[in-house]
Amino acid sequence: MDTVNVYGEYRDNLQSILDEIVGRIESHNDEFFKKTGDKLHEHLIARVKSEESMAEKCVRRGFEPTPYNALHELTDSIGIRIVCSFVDDVYENVRLLKSYPDIEVMIEKDYIKHAKPNGYRSYHMIIKVKTPFEDVLGNTPGEYFAEIQLRTIAMDSWASLEHKMKYKKNIPNSDLIVAELKRCADELAACDVSMQTIRNLIKEG
Amino acid sequence: MRLLLAEDEKDLSRALTAVLSHSGYTVDAAFDGVEALEFLEQNDYDIIVMDIMMPRMDGIEALKRIRENGDYTPVLLLTAKAEVDDRVTGLDAGADDYLTKPFAVKELLARVKSMTRRNSGYQPTNLSFGSVTLNTEKQEATSENSISLALKETKLLEFFMLNPDKELSTERIFDHVWKNDETVTADVVWMYVSFLRSKLQSINADIEIAGEKDGCYVLKVI
Repeated sequence: MDTVNVYGEYRDNLQSILDEIVGRIESHNDEFFKKTGDKLHEHLIARVKSEESMAEKCVRRGFEPTPYNALHELTDSIGIRIVCSFVDDVYENVRLLKSYPDIEVMIEKDYIKHAKPNGYRSYHMIIKVKTPFEDVLGNTPGEYFAEIQLRTIAMDSWASLEHKMKYKKNIPNSDLIVAELKRCADELAACDVSMQTIRNLIKEG
Repeated sequence: MRLLLAEDEKDLSRALTAVLSHSGYTVDAAFDGVEALEFLEQNDYDIIVMDIMMPRMDGIEALKRIRENGDYTPVLLLTAKAEVDDRVTGLDAGADDYLTKPFAVKELLARVKSMTRRNSGYQPTNLSFGSVTLNTEKQEATSENSISLALKETKLLEFFMLNPDKELSTERIFDHVWKNDETVTADVVWMYVSFLRSKLQSINADIEIAGEKDGCYVLKVI
């Protein structure tokens, strides 16, 4: 249970906004599946950041743990990770999200085209959503931030393994392990690219 | 650089060992063919310098055994005889070069150097074109990102990178990259060109493989 109350009176809005965005993405996926037999994404994970984590993050970033800082200075109270089968599907989902008139992209980073030095690949977006709710600035309709990560199944499985390694920093041969993890990331990226190409070749007939 | 010297004349062996060591080679000296084979069982060499006329086992016989074992270390034969037949026999047995005694030490050093350079020069580990570096040993292409390549993708990209800006026909590519593979047809070229195109894009390469299916392809800077 959350004992900290960093979201204040806006707390319930966050879940409603998250549900609404997820509903949209899911219904798009269903429609696409009915039309083509393919899914636009394989699965997605959605969460409102727990108030403890958010309060802790505020402090870590040098902010007072207040609703204003949690919802205006920081942008990841609402988080969605969309996991796709193919690389092109990631970009299709990005295009879709951008097409919504009530969603404004604030920051986007393509770590698929520009992989991080450790091999991490993913597409990151920070978006601002227009909502019927009052926001932390007192505006109604109000605007809320959300962070969206889009990646393939292969990128996702790599990221979750790499995440586990982060907690074990003092293992022996850590340099070698980092280098080998990067090699794995490159090999998985190679599979992603190859499977995308095969799908394209099949489509072209 | 590690060098195996097989020479039965003690004085010559000692002199050559001194000169070669002085030039930076780590030298093992064998005094007949049998001993040379024993050294080869123990160690890897970058080059072998071998006399033909030796007791117990001559250089030609030793050379044949070396090649039969699948060892393709460059071999420079030393021969006292200037007869054409002898040189031909040596080259046919798998020698890479020969030198007729008496020879100038300068020439021996130059030939040894040329042979070791040639060996590594044939297969550079790193090839570069545009923003892309291909590491053939790690089977990895790097530009802004890096990505792993399958064996045939590596061979194909290597062929392109050794011949940039040149038109390569589907047939020529097939013969070069799939020369020992009888299980596939030339259709495989288009598929692997497609794979490489995607992979080059995924590392943000500034080079591309231009060309149409079943036609000629050119690797060029975009």
